Amino acid sequence: MTSGRTDSLRSTEIAVGDELPPFDLPVTSTVIVAGAIASRDFMPAHHDREFAMAQGAPNMFMNILTTNGYVSRFVTDWAGPEAMIRSIKIRLGAPAVPGQPLRFSGQVAQTSHEGDECVIEVAVRAANDLGDHATGTVVVSLPLG
Amino acid sequence: MADKEVDELRARLEAYVGKPMGPPAVAPDAVNLPMIRHWVDALDDRNPVYLDAEFAATTRFGGIVAPPAMLQTWTMPRPRIEGIAGRGGAPDKMISDNPIPLLDQAGYVGTLATNSELEFVRYLRPGDQLHLTTEVESISNRKTTALGQGYFVTWVTTYMDGEDEVVGRQLFRILKFDPSTIGAAA
Repeated sequence: MTSGRTDSLRSTEIAVGDELPPFDLPVTSTVIVAGAIASRDFMPAHHDREFAMAQGAPNMFMNILTTNGYVSRFVTDWAGPEAMIRSIKIRLGAPAVPGQPLRFSGQVAQTSHEGDECVIEVAVRAANDLGDHATGTVVVSLPLG
Repeated sequence: MADKEVDELRARLEAYVGKPMGPPAVAPDAVNLPMIRHWVDALDDRNPVYLDAEFAATTRFGGIVAPPAMLQTWTMPRPRIEGIAGRGGAPDKMISDNPIPLLDQAGYVGTLATNSELEFVRYLRPGDQLHLTTEVESISNRKTTALGQGYFVTWVTTYMDGEDEVVGRQLFRILKFDPSTIGAAA
């Protein structure tokens, strides 16, 4: 277990075009099942390989709640604990399946000031060898300063 | 399918727009630390505002908050495990008057999730008791896709706290497709 960072990015350090540190998630059956059950999603496609394959999927696959959880984690691991996620808007593509690591990448697309907050729009992508698993935009705010 | 049937189906689908996708639902449990801890461990998300009360008190949140992406988790229906595969994964016997059974009956039995848009009005804290309502936002005209002909169905879930204040929303879009029409001309 690693402990989380306690410092946050300063809004003055963030510029359009900044790349987020890429993150590789080694997707295993355990990762998929742990996320499904933690999100209280008991759909067999997220824990039962035979069921998923009978439905035409290549293997059991990650549920959307878990994908959103990892997208959120990817952005707050970068921005720090003062970050407040405002929205996660993703388009869903290739399934996340065991044995196919997911690579998360992101880039600051836009920044603006709103009251005492800096609002940052991050373009995110999570991809594996099958293609783009999720692509979209996360809007996150940090206190100004 | 003949044009007339397509038109009739379209009219029946249109009648669902603006109507609930399912019944209002109440979270079985208030936002709570054990479920947050389970999530934090499952996703290895070590953001200290989720579990470290002392640290969280020093942040702008002023105390522990739930991971925002857990929003939908709090209101997930309690599953009846026995027979869940036979129900196609539905947590329990669902009697919902919504466009999905209509599309299934018309042959559009395939389901593919295409979009999820989560909006967080505020972060949740332990003790928040959520409930939700849903509404069909739109249903597309019949489209020809790589998976066959189908309809995009979009609905919005609105999450509220114990004071009926909106805490978040989720837009969800799926494609209901007819696998037998794969490769069909537009």
